[in-house]
Amino acid sequence: MFAYYLQLGLRSLRRNPILTALMVVGIALGIAASMTTLTVLHLMGSNPIPWKSDKLHYVQLDNWSGDQPYYDDGRPPDQVTYQDAVALMKAAKADKQAAMFKLSMPVQPENKDLKPFQALARVTYADFFAMFEPRFKYGAAWNHDQDEGHARVIVLGDEMNEKLFGGQDSTGKSVRLNGIDYTVVGVLDKWKLRSRYYDLTNGSFADPDEFFMPFTTAIDLKQRSTGNNSCWKSSGDGWDAYLASDCVWMQMWVQLDSPARLAEYKSFLDNYVNEQKKLGRFPRPLNNRLLNVTEWMKDQKVVSRDMEVQTGLAFAFLAVCLVNTIGLLLAKFTRKSGEIGLRRALGASRRDVFTQFLVESGVVGLTGGVLGLMLTGLGLLAVRALYTEYKTVASLDWSMVATTILLAIASALLAGLYPTWRACRVQPAAQLKV
Amino acid sequence: MEIRPILSALMRSKVSMILIGLQVALTLAIVCNALFIIGQRLELMNRPSGMNEADTFMFGSSGFGQGYDGRAVMKSDLAVLRQIPGVADATPSNSVPMSGGGWGSGISLQPKQKTSSADTTFYMVDDHGLNSFGVKLIAGRNFTPAEIEDHDQGARVQPPVIIVTKALADKLFPNGDALGKQVYLDEDEPRSTIVGIVEKTQEPWIDSKDIEHATFIPYFLPYGNYTRYLVRAEPGRRDEVMKAVEQKMAEANPSRIIGKLRSLQQVRHEAYANDRAMAIILGAVIAALLAVTALGIVGMASFWVAQRTRQIGTRRALGATKFDILRYFQTENFIITTMGLIAGGILAYGLSLWLMQQYQSPRLPWYYVPVGFLCLWALGQLAVLGPALRASRVPPAVATRNV
Amino acid sequence: MLKMTHLQKVYRTHLIETYALRDFSINVREGEFVAVTGPSGSGKTTFLNIAGLLEEFTGGEYLLDGVDVAGLGDDARSRLRNEKIGFIFQSFNLIPDLNLFDNVDVPLRYRGFGAADRKKRIEESLSRVGLASRMKHYPAELSGGQQQRVAIARALAGSPRLLLADEPTGNLDSLMARGVMELLEEINRQGTTIVMVTHDPELAARAHRNVHVIDGQVTDFDDEPKLRRPVRDGDTAAAIA
Repeated sequence: MFAYYLQLGLRSLRRNPILTALMVVGIALGIAASMTTLTVLHLMGSNPIPWKSDKLHYVQLDNWSGDQPYYDDGRPPDQVTYQDAVALMKAAKADKQAAMFKLSMPVQPENKDLKPFQALARVTYADFFAMFEPRFKYGAAWNHDQDEGHARVIVLGDEMNEKLFGGQDSTGKSVRLNGIDYTVVGVLDKWKLRSRYYDLTNGSFADPDEFFMPFTTAIDLKQRSTGNNSCWKSSGDGWDAYLASDCVWMQMWVQLDSPARLAEYKSFLDNYVNEQKKLGRFPRPLNNRLLNVTEWMKDQKVVSRDMEVQTGLAFAFLAVCLVNTIGLLLAKFTRKSGEIGLRRALGASRRDVFTQFLVESGVVGLTGGVLGLMLTGLGLLAVRALYTEYKTVASLDWSMVATTILLAIASALLAGLYPTWRACRVQPAAQLKV
Repeated sequence: MEIRPILSALMRSKVSMILIGLQVALTLAIVCNALFIIGQRLELMNRPSGMNEADTFMFGSSGFGQGYDGRAVMKSDLAVLRQIPGVADATPSNSVPMSGGGWGSGISLQPKQKTSSADTTFYMVDDHGLNSFGVKLIAGRNFTPAEIEDHDQGARVQPPVIIVTKALADKLFPNGDALGKQVYLDEDEPRSTIVGIVEKTQEPWIDSKDIEHATFIPYFLPYGNYTRYLVRAEPGRRDEVMKAVEQKMAEANPSRIIGKLRSLQQVRHEAYANDRAMAIILGAVIAALLAVTALGIVGMASFWVAQRTRQIGTRRALGATKFDILRYFQTENFIITTMGLIAGGILAYGLSLWLMQQYQSPRLPWYYVPVGFLCLWALGQLAVLGPALRASRVPPAVATRNV
Repeated sequence: MLKMTHLQKVYRTHLIETYALRDFSINVREGEFVAVTGPSGSGKTTFLNIAGLLEEFTGGEYLLDGVDVAGLGDDARSRLRNEKIGFIFQSFNLIPDLNLFDNVDVPLRYRGFGAADRKKRIEESLSRVGLASRMKHYPAELSGGQQQRVAIARALAGSPRLLLADEPTGNLDSLMARGVMELLEEINRQGTTIVMVTHDPELAARAHRNVHVIDGQVTDFDDEPKLRRPVRDGDTAAAIA
């Protein structure tokens, strides 16, 4: 019977091609607009590391000026100072911990065909790899001893390894950065991060890190971070004064494997800050925060307000398209009241009529969904062209494809409900001319 | 006009009327607010930076290897740059307007002030700075070559002389007597004297609250091995000069990397990419929305015409002219649209209130809604014209045709 | 009142020509009640459409109340129709969305009467057909006979000189049909010319005279079936009447 209704639905759609096209295009446009924005929103805000996002915590200490909070609403600074980062690393009270910052460095390839180029380094500790879990293609991370020993080692990202060594296993080989040679200890596999969630201060959708270097080694270079640096008072003259200053320029992450450990670490931080207060630092009231990955992403508005507004508007647009479809379906079904009367006279039950017309609505929805899916693809292309930094978040995955089709059918069925109900109420034969 | 009979006929098909009305209402609410947002973005995007953007470009140079002398390279680079034909002037500068990254600081009237008197950005330039930026000096003087100090990264910023923008000067000295006054860039002595005031220069951050608070500082400052240059070409020669500069810089010193040369127009383009994207996307939504609404009206009106063919024939048989029929459908559309628009007007203000609460956006100016009314009235009349014309062509003989 | 001479109506497609009326002549005088009869497809309805200015003709001459309608444009025809002719259709053609008052009002609106005048005329004509009490009802709430009475009221409201009726009782049972027929006769007695198309011989017999149409030509006059002589001369019809 379903097949019969399907056939009827298809035939009916063909009979009124313009009206059908209006409905299908209406649904498709509405679906495409909402799915495009929803995809971007979904991927932007999606949890990058769901299996342990509640264990990774971002450390914030409020070392800001006593006269003025960092944020007007009183939130503490986004980053920590060098001295606090090093102190927390030394204390090693968390299950794992990694301070880090961003550094751009000149690379001098051995291969003379390659011109020297700038590459972005993530300067961090060995625990970084165990905490954020990138997969290694070759070799492994450096170890804690190498952290201690200021070892001149690096881990290459997949792309940089491709560029310098043609994708070969380069462990043990050396790379010259600004006149100094570093030994490659590991090469990462492709690491597709939608947002660089471990450093949201320096552009969450910015270019990915190209290689990794031990924190201690990089500090020896006396190079300031390429990323954000904020001071509330003059840092004084020279590198050592800078390191000892209250300027914030590092991100600090800790892994805490249980709520109990989290509570412990919280009180450890509070103790640490109270100790520092005795030394004349931290003029503000105690305001430490340990947000987990998803909380931190929310705090930093990884999902931009523009995207939220766009998604809201897109769904309002879908609503208009649905209202439009209801009207057109109503028009179509009303025109068929003669046919319905005849069918009822020939023995169709209300339920039969209901099913027949709902199937017809569903067919409209399915067609609209398929067209909408194609338009969503175009929409995402457009988003990628308009927002170059959203490359990683403007792409369809299978779950979104399925959602699109389902949303389209559900929308059309919803839109078809009232017209179908009206169609059911046609009295048998009342419309027949004698 | 026969409004009452049309109205009573409409009341007999309430649902269709409500659907079209609802569509018009939602469309009005969305279009008004989206247009308003677009307007705001365009306003942001059109703010002048104060610079000569058309002829100017910038690039970075990072040296590498031991023994690289950033300061010496900087001096020779500038000499080379200023020699290149077509170059009007060149300066080192730590940042430029709209680039998104720069040096922010407070500026105070008293030493060790608890909160600074104003926020500003620092542009570290030499005596060619103002000319290369292409900003207009409106009071005082430019830096002299003798005033340009060699400065080290991390050292205290306490220049003897500075040049500020008019906006910053007025903020610090509301009486308009900033020229010659002294201010604190650091918390302690020595102070800096304002020797010049420029008309307008934006900060590097387009979302800054006080976007025109900029301070020029006469520092010759390499960031380790990194330097950024700003070059202004003679009018109309920018692209040609960019090519020449790229080549000359590479030749001048092989042990460094010349970053991508970016024109200020490109910098602006990238800085406002998100605002532009928002405007384009909202524009697309508006267009699609109007199209869907117009198509909806066409669809419904066509249906009504088809449904009432016999009725139209009867009216024609009873003496209605083609124009009478045309007017009937147009009046009907006008009534439905107007009802939708009234609801939509309320909805538009409601949506605006919600956006105000949720996103601290400004209030929708009142005139958006009446303008929206006019547009949607026009859209409705245009959309119904086709079906209404078709209706007017229904031959009167339809009335005698028996089903 | 209505005079057609050698009237011709041809439907042309690029392949064939079909004559709906060929050489059709008739003369209906003021105050007459004429029944036009004939089998299906004979051209009755085409005649009525042309007589009522709903369709144009392709040859011959048609004088409506002395006016040659051949050269008139659509708007002029609409005006003439509105002022001089009242229509009664087989399927009533009441507008379902409007109540009785508004239905009768329709031609008066196009006529451009003032509000008070219209109200007076609507009330008068509805009471003439005995439905003044149901002014606020909608067509669907009435029986077929009542609906046809409303249609007659609508036709009369503009005081037309000529009433064209197309199978006015075709959709009614015999009891209702008789009532409608009596109403038409009453209207005719009061001076309105009536031309009625019907295939019901009983109805036709009640008219002053009958015109029989076969194949787009007038064949017979008066009580049927007498003469089988085709009439070529418009005046003949008048002469015989």
